Amino acid sequence: MKTYEVFLKKEGKDPFSHAGSVDAPDDELARTYAREAYGRRSEGDQMWVVPRSDILIADETELKLADRNHRHNDGQLLAELRRTTSSGES
Amino acid sequence: MVPTEEAHELVLAFADDELCIGQNHSWWIAIGPFLEEDLAFTSIAQDELGHARALYSLLSDDIDHLAYGRTPSEYRSAHIAEFLCHDWSWALVRHVLHDIGEQIRWSAMTDSSWKELANTAQRALAEENFHLQHGLSLIRRLLSNEDGRRHLEPAILELAPYGREYFADSGHGLVDQGVLTMSMADQEQEWVKQVSDLFDEFDVPVDLNVETPASGRSGIRSEDFAALHDEMTAVIRIDPKAQW
Repeated sequence: MKTYEVFLKKEGKDPFSHAGSVDAPDDELARTYAREAYGRRSEGDQMWVVPRSDILIADETELKLADRNHRHNDGQLLAELRRTTSSGES
Repeated sequence: MVPTEEAHELVLAFADDELCIGQNHSWWIAIGPFLEEDLAFTSIAQDELGHARALYSLLSDDIDHLAYGRTPSEYRSAHIAEFLCHDWSWALVRHVLHDIGEQIRWSAMTDSSWKELANTAQRALAEENFHLQHGLSLIRRLLSNEDGRRHLEPAILELAPYGREYFADSGHGLVDQGVLTMSMADQEQEWVKQVSDLFDEFDVPVDLNVETPASGRSGIRSEDFAALHDEMTAVIRIDPKAQW
């Protein structure tokens, strides 16, 4: 048996999201089981079934670098600057 | 069109097959061989009960009476649909034999002159393709493996000849009336071909010409029917007004 990850997408703008996983002996049965386990009540209009072993996993330590404030610009400073500039013009 | 008595009998027999299969498949709820298969198999059970409901409703407004209120001799189910098959190998083989037949039977009804029947058939056929795909993928997978084959072969040899009863003729007028677009005899040939081709792939020496004592269409029930009927009427016997 192989483990597969299942992704579902509803019609509209929402992206595919992870629904869960299934174990199956081959790709065809994986699709069948995924449909029954996660899509039998029309939870999605599209489904991706991906062998877990084909998923590339990113380095967790690189993702966890927390002290990078410059990545979290909330636009406050720029908004403040714009406000002052435009009120100065009038 | 006003359905003839022959058409009525045809639909009743099909509905009874579906009721028995749905009830039998649902026995595996929570005890399927593994979680994914458990979900898939019992979801198919639900679909089959849905087919039975749709077919009964073509015949009567009181579908509970048709499903649960008749005496055993009033049922028309094929014996293969009644067998309990409380061994997974048998349940899987019967699922495959049944669904090969079911796909052929619905296909012969999608252009029926009985409009409501045609609509029901078109709806059911979409689900049926999936059931068949499930059964065929799994049985092919297991027959490719020595251990799987050892379990399945006895069930195939024993059960397969019973499948012909699905096509026991319920009258010759059905094609003339436009109720069916393929005669029962032609459907039976198609079933025999598909079943033989499948098992030939794996050199399973199945003989579909073995005479079976099955005579469900004439009102004679198999030995297993009493237990099955007992189980499926348990709720309505406790509370005849139960809603579900």
